[in-house]
Amino acid sequence: MKWLHNNRSAVLLAPALLFLLLVLYSLTMSFVESIRGVDGWTFDYYQGLFQERRLYASFGYSLTITLISTLLSIAIGWGIVRSFHTFIENSPGKWLVWIPMLFPHFVWGYFVLLLLGQSGLISSALFGLGWIEERDQFPVFVQDRNGIGIITTYLWKEIPFVILMLLPVYAQLPKQYGEVIQVLGGSKRHIFKTIEWPWVKPVLLEVALILTAFIFTAYEVPALLGVQYPQMTAELAYDWFYGVSWDERSYAFALLFIAAAVMGFIALISFMILNRQRWLISKSQHSR
Amino acid sequence: MKRSLFYSLAILFFLFPAILLGLKSVTPIWRWGEPLSFNWTLRGWTSFWMDDRILHALWLSLLIALTVTLINLAVGMMAGKALSHSSFKGKSMLETLLLLPLFVPAMAAAIGLHITMIRLGLANHWTGVVIVHLVPTIPYTIKIMKAGYDRLGSDLIDQSRMLKAGPFRTFREIELPLLLPSVRSAVFLVVTISMSQYVLTAIIGGGSVITLPIIYYPFLQSVDDTVMAAFSIVFAILPVFAVLIIELISRFFITKNSFFNRGAV
Repeated sequence: MKWLHNNRSAVLLAPALLFLLLVLYSLTMSFVESIRGVDGWTFDYYQGLFQERRLYASFGYSLTITLISTLLSIAIGWGIVRSFHTFIENSPGKWLVWIPMLFPHFVWGYFVLLLLGQSGLISSALFGLGWIEERDQFPVFVQDRNGIGIITTYLWKEIPFVILMLLPVYAQLPKQYGEVIQVLGGSKRHIFKTIEWPWVKPVLLEVALILTAFIFTAYEVPALLGVQYPQMTAELAYDWFYGVSWDERSYAFALLFIAAAVMGFIALISFMILNRQRWLISKSQHSR
Repeated sequence: MKRSLFYSLAILFFLFPAILLGLKSVTPIWRWGEPLSFNWTLRGWTSFWMDDRILHALWLSLLIALTVTLINLAVGMMAGKALSHSSFKGKSMLETLLLLPLFVPAMAAAIGLHITMIRLGLANHWTGVVIVHLVPTIPYTIKIMKAGYDRLGSDLIDQSRMLKAGPFRTFREIELPLLLPSVRSAVFLVVTISMSQYVLTAIIGGGSVITLPIIYYPFLQSVDDTVMAAFSIVFAILPVFAVLIIELISRFFITKNSFFNRGAV
């Protein structure tokens, strides 16, 4: 009977495993392509890649934008959920949070351009009010070297994502334990440490990993709101992938494979540590 | 006090952009430094009917998004049920692995699949685009469906099986009706993500699969903000439209005298 049951879940999991195989296959293939030379296998392209000046400029630029966008989205989104969660759930407020989720990232990027560009609505309104005389006097917020337009778009899109990921967690927090802690004379810090943090931590980790991987390697927003130099990772990889020379094509595969390997490794390690902690907690609860 | 602070922030940052885009789609081009003109026009919207290419792209995008959604729902429901209602060795590891595609660049998967797709004849064809759109969507659906089955529990399913209902009938009368909220969120998310793909579609579609993003993206810098705003609104309407279609299909699946409709719950 047990065998039958296990077999049933194997059948149910088969399509998902097939999907996982597809993803692993695709990553393996991008590695294979990165070491396929004109005559035989070679790691030369990795050497060549690390001598490219464009790579270093892109890496620093991408990492800065990614970290700022991810950390700020999480900090602001988490802050909003912590202060307002009691009435966002089951209210029209939740539908308001869904609105930016409906639009693709590049549409939101277009909106930021329409609003904040030098020829945008705010600039035009300031001219109408007589505060500026030329559109050049309006500060460069989009298509700027510092990536302000890119960061603005990501924050505007990801804060709702963070809110919607955290809301279910706060709806399920075991609030009665908070009362127990209060009765026993525990402080707010205790409540946070024993109830809120253990529940929120895994979701925060997941959100942080998703946002980091996505922002670091997304193409659409930086290609629209960025500058020619430096470029973010995906723009560089895209240029190289469609570049004329074979070397550049191999650089594209190598660059994206390294990004995938590093991010996948970080994600696996963090989840393994987290799962182990959870396992220890559940074990100590059972032995009591 | 707190409530009004939240609502004023949410209206300013979340609702206002949508309203502004909607307003822009029915007003003429606003030029810099000139007063805003409100001579209503339907030019932005009629461009969808006037141009065959755009209309075709609209249907193709919807076809791709709905195919991706149906595959997502099938894979997600099966995996969600197995992950929620049975336990086996290495389950938490498998759950982590199934989320992994979200933590690696989708573009790496796309260029990795490119050559294989060319060999199989799937590149430059909409089915190849469907396959690559599965990469950033399926992990979310599995997650949503697992949470759905967690909430549902196994009691009702066991009871129905005990009363000699077959697996298909149990699915139609118990699981599907009670999982509808999860199905709705999954459809919303999957269609939105599929509609957001420019670079994945461009790589695998190779310029022959013309979806809405492929048309829209190169024109984002254009001065014709009326047409661009109408486009922007369409991107947001399509997921809502897709939820309605899926709702109709599942209504068809759920029999009239299911547990749900008898007024028992």
